[in-house]
Amino acid sequence: MISSKYNLCCVIIDYGLGSKVLKLAKDIGVSGGTIFLGKGSAKNYLLEWFDLTDIRKEIVLFLAEEHVAENVLDAINKKFKFCKPNHGIAFCSPLENIVGSRSCHVDKIKESRGSDDIMYKAIFTIVDRGNAESVIDAAEKAGSQGGTIINARGSGIHEKSTLFAMTVEPEKEIVLILSEKDKTEAIVESIKNEIKLENPGNGILFILDTISTYGIFKDN
Amino acid sequence: MFPFPHSIFSLQLEKKEVMSINILYEKFKEVSFTVLPVTILVVILNFTITPIDHILMYRFLLGALLIIIGMSIFLVGTDIGISPLGSLLGSTVTKTNKTAIVIFSGILLGFIISVAEPDLHILAGQVQDATGGATSKINIVMIVSIGVALLLSTGLFRIIRNLKLNRLLTIIYGVIFILALFTSPEFLAISFDASGATTGALTVPFMLALGLGVSSLKAGKNSEDDSFGLVGVTSTGAILSVMIFRLFAKSKDSTIEASTIVAKEINSSIFRPFLEQIPHMVKEMFIALLPLVIIFLIFNAISFRLSKKKFGKIVKGFAYTYIGLILFQTGVNAGFMEVGKVVGHSIASLDNDLIVIAIGFILGLVVILAEPAVHVLTEQIEDVTSGSIKRKVILFTLSIGVAFAVSLSMVRIVVPGLQLWHFLLPGYLISIFLSYKVPSLFVGIAFDSGGVASGPMTATFVLAFAQGAAEAIDGANVLVDGFGVIAMVAMTPLIALQILGLIYKIKSVKKDVDG
Repeated sequence: MISSKYNLCCVIIDYGLGSKVLKLAKDIGVSGGTIFLGKGSAKNYLLEWFDLTDIRKEIVLFLAEEHVAENVLDAINKKFKFCKPNHGIAFCSPLENIVGSRSCHVDKIKESRGSDDIMYKAIFTIVDRGNAESVIDAAEKAGSQGGTIINARGSGIHEKSTLFAMTVEPEKEIVLILSEKDKTEAIVESIKNEIKLENPGNGILFILDTISTYGIFKDN
Repeated sequence: MFPFPHSIFSLQLEKKEVMSINILYEKFKEVSFTVLPVTILVVILNFTITPIDHILMYRFLLGALLIIIGMSIFLVGTDIGISPLGSLLGSTVTKTNKTAIVIFSGILLGFIISVAEPDLHILAGQVQDATGGATSKINIVMIVSIGVALLLSTGLFRIIRNLKLNRLLTIIYGVIFILALFTSPEFLAISFDASGATTGALTVPFMLALGLGVSSLKAGKNSEDDSFGLVGVTSTGAILSVMIFRLFAKSKDSTIEASTIVAKEINSSIFRPFLEQIPHMVKEMFIALLPLVIIFLIFNAISFRLSKKKFGKIVKGFAYTYIGLILFQTGVNAGFMEVGKVVGHSIASLDNDLIVIAIGFILGLVVILAEPAVHVLTEQIEDVTSGSIKRKVILFTLSIGVAFAVSLSMVRIVVPGLQLWHFLLPGYLISIFLSYKVPSLFVGIAFDSGGVASGPMTATFVLAFAQGAAEAIDGANVLVDGFGVIAMVAMTPLIALQILGLIYKIKSVKKDVDG
């Protein structure tokens, strides 16, 4: 068992830069990562009118020891200029356990940093394909600044079927929204009402704490 | 307000105002990089071995600009209009869980899309001439459309029944081979060109998305494997139907004179050809797009029932597609076609066969990049494989494939004895053989890319180039030698991409996983 010394790092960046992020992370000491594609949404009234709002994004996930994670995110932050809006978002979440990564050894040294306050939460919503935009709309109504949509497949107890000769896994969309701690409740409530998550089979929502966030700016 | 950790910098808006880097700009950048190579090639040729008339050159540059703008808008349109419609249709039809509905929808969709395809009408004109006017143009359009419809349906059936793509293709190409034995060389070229004619700029993105819509429902690895291949299967429908049609319509001698691309006199105005093209394209593209709009409206009323916002988005997608296609086609027809012919003609007049072949190679290398459906295919490949098969790799491989296609076509024009089937037969044999050796995903991608590569850019620019060259070389028949280029362009990617598949198969074995 590993105490919460390991972090899950997640970097959301413009399409095509994912490999570069991973390479940089590897240079600093991360053993490997996973990249997948997502869709970001832009906020701009003119573009929204033209419906030119979908931007392809890449999402990089990797595991790293806490202090390594910090270094990596700092380096990524500098190199890809997350300090400017729309250059990307990165965040870290604490982990309970890791299996299958031999290069990760338990590090007993406990470092304490001053900024342990959890300022942001990562809200994950898994819904049927096509509903992701409603989730984002609902979240934006409650003060969120946008989100990232990831295509996925899944299967719950409420839906499982075979069509013709093929086993079908229903298409899903995962919506990832980063929200400020104090807005989280409102956003979750708004999504819950919009998608009717209380009813079975409509989707799942869960929230992760984040330790450090980069590239997210407060709407002021 | 709240205390911020030092890592959060300034109090700025996240995704507002600064969103100048929008998708249209991104597409514009991406498209520019793919259209510039062919533009630069022609400019270089102009200043070196084949000086081109100034007016033609200005038209060409104006055409290139229109192509870049048109293609950018078109691609955004397919992203938010055509592709979502295709995958929606695919999954909706499959979810009915009734084989009859899938087959019927396949036939219906295939037929109405094919009937509206402008390239098919041009081809039908050729076939009409080739058969000495024995059959009317509209009959030919109908017959080819039925062929396309049946094969589209077969392709969908394959996905839902989990049949192997390589086996289906072996059967189809086996039948084509047998039919080819009874087909004259001229007609062979026309039948294979027909497969290029039915896979236009609109139909390819739609069919790609349709196949994806069905296969994305699947669980596990099959989902990825079966995402491609529908275009490849469908395009054989045209080959089959033209060949079968020929068997029954063997009325008159097939002496063919007509050249489809009417050589217009160089008129002194730069803009006039464009202005003449636009109204024509406005009408033609409207007819081509209409079936998709009707399908969308009907299905939305019966089954999708999209929210107002999503409905609006697809409608806007259609509008972009329409505008983009008009600009693109105008640019190609008014700016590129004439130049292609002139360049082909003057290079062939140099009396140096090697130069003709070499220029053909380079032209093939760059021209395929400017094919709109190539963007759609490569993007879809990246989406399906989560970016593990990179766009650039596919583009590069396609380029090499098409380069060989064009240069071999030049060889065929230069060397009198060589015939089209001398290339096609071994080519398809190798393709079918390879389809049993490479991962299924690549078989699908390869056979789809055949249809993708033979789009509007090749159908006009490369064809014009080949015809120009054939005109200038003694003993070359403009029709027999000039045509068949599209057949070649549709064939070589099959081999090129499957070889890429082989390389991936070998490379993707994990190295340092020890015990």
